[in-house]
Parts: sequence; structure tokens; C-alpha cells
Amino acid sequence: MSLFSTLEISGSALAAERARADIVAANLANAETTRTTEGGPFRRKMAVFSGSGTSAFRLLLAGYNRLAGRPAGTVRLVRVAEDTTPPVVRYEPGHPDANASGFVSYPNVNPIQEMVDLMGAVRAYQLNASAVAASKQMIQQSLDILK
Amino acid sequence: MSSTPILHLAQDFLGLVSARHQLITANMANIDTPGYRTQDIDFHAELKRTLDNNGAAMAPVSHSVPGLLQRPDGNDVNLDRESLLLAETQMQYQIGVQVVRSEFHRLLSAINEGK
Repeated sequence: MSLFSTLEISGSALAAERARADIVAANLANAETTRTTEGGPFRRKMAVFSGSGTSAFRLLLAGYNRLAGRPAGTVRLVRVAEDTTPPVVRYEPGHPDANASGFVSYPNVNPIQEMVDLMGAVRAYQLNASAVAASKQMIQQSLDILK
Repeated sequence: MSSTPILHLAQDFLGLVSARHQLITANMANIDTPGYRTQDIDFHAELKRTLDNNGAAMAPVSHSVPGLLQRPDGNDVNLDRESLLLAETQMQYQIGVQVVRSEFHRLLSAINEGK
């Protein structure tokens, strides 16, 4: 029954958006981190999503074979990419992480950009949560036929 | 397998509505997937095809929806379109379920000799 796989699809999106919000939170938390285990300042992280495709063939496959794995249309976080823009450099000669000329490299995190990204993740999460509610109601209605 | 033609019709209708519902949830899930194109089925054409085919279950064919505004990352999911369609399919599903229920009630009243 395809109604149950819609729950799986929406669930995958909920997980992906939550992971995206986690990454944004990590970026904001580390907005001033100048030391990391890899050395140098923290680098901004970005979520990369990938869909499993909704081609007619995949829909057909998902309809006939539940062993085909993820149903067509699910989304997942495939990679956490690093932003390659250079770090922000500030002149702070007294800072313990300052280089020989007195400049400190700060993370390339822009709080405004992160907040916008966070809002996007929250809205997408709400959207998928309402899709879950709709699917749930439809399943409930089918069950009510038995009454 | 269905006992009356109306039940058969309602079954096809519900199958098609839930297939469309699945595509809408997939579109919503992929709202942030770069390069994703909105998928949909031509509901009326598919329903007609199923009815013309004497109700034999046919897998609906999905296609990308043309004419939607595309974002720079190649994604063209429109939030309002999907939300409206979600509400629409929910109502359509309710119609189908009510038809099935009333048909079963009719059968039951025949069994009970109209008592």
C-alpha cells in the first residue's frame, strides 16, 4: 500500500531537515572558534541532500517490490561539505592564535546566512510534518471502513 | 474481486489518489534537493485510462510538471502548489472512502432484507 511508503518518504525528509538544522547550529556555535583538531579556524559546514528519484520506472518498481529499498522520492543527507571561502582575518596582535603579523583567522561563518538557512530548515520540517498528518488521516479513514 | 461495479470504481479511484498523494509527499520531501523537478500524474487522463481498460489495475505514469519557476539550484518545487494539492488529495480520498462505506452499507441492508 503506497500510503505507508508516503510516511517513509516524509520521515526521510524530516530526518534530513533535522540534520541540516543540526549543522546550522554547529556553524553558529563555532562562529568564533579559532582552534580545531585539524588546525586553523573552524570551517563552515553545509548539508548536501540527494533524492532517490521519482521516475516512472522507480514508481513501478516500488509498487511491485517492497524489497527495492527506499521508496521512490525519499531524500537523505549524503555529505557534509565544507565551505571553501577563505577565513575572515582580523587584526588582533594580542590574541594567542595571531600569526607573526598579528592577524587572527576567524571562521567563515555569517550569522545572517545561518539564520536564514535555519528558518528554511524549520519551514521544510513543518511542511513535511503536515504531510505526515495528512497521510495519517488518510490511513485512519481507510481503517474506518472496517467499522 | 470487487462485488459491485461501484466498489470497483472506488477502488481504482482510491488507488490513483494514493499514488498522487505519494508523489506530492515526495515533492515536499525534496524541496531542498538540488536539481529536483516536481513530479505529478495527469489525474483525469489516468482515471480515464483505468476505466477504459475495464478497471484493470494500471501503474500510473509520472512526469515532470512544466511551467514552474526554477530556483538557481535547478529545483522547481512550489510550496503553495504542493500544499493545495495535498489538501485536495486528502478530500478526494475521503470521497472515495465514503463511497466504499456507503456501498458496504447498501450491501449490508440487502443482506438484512432492508431491515
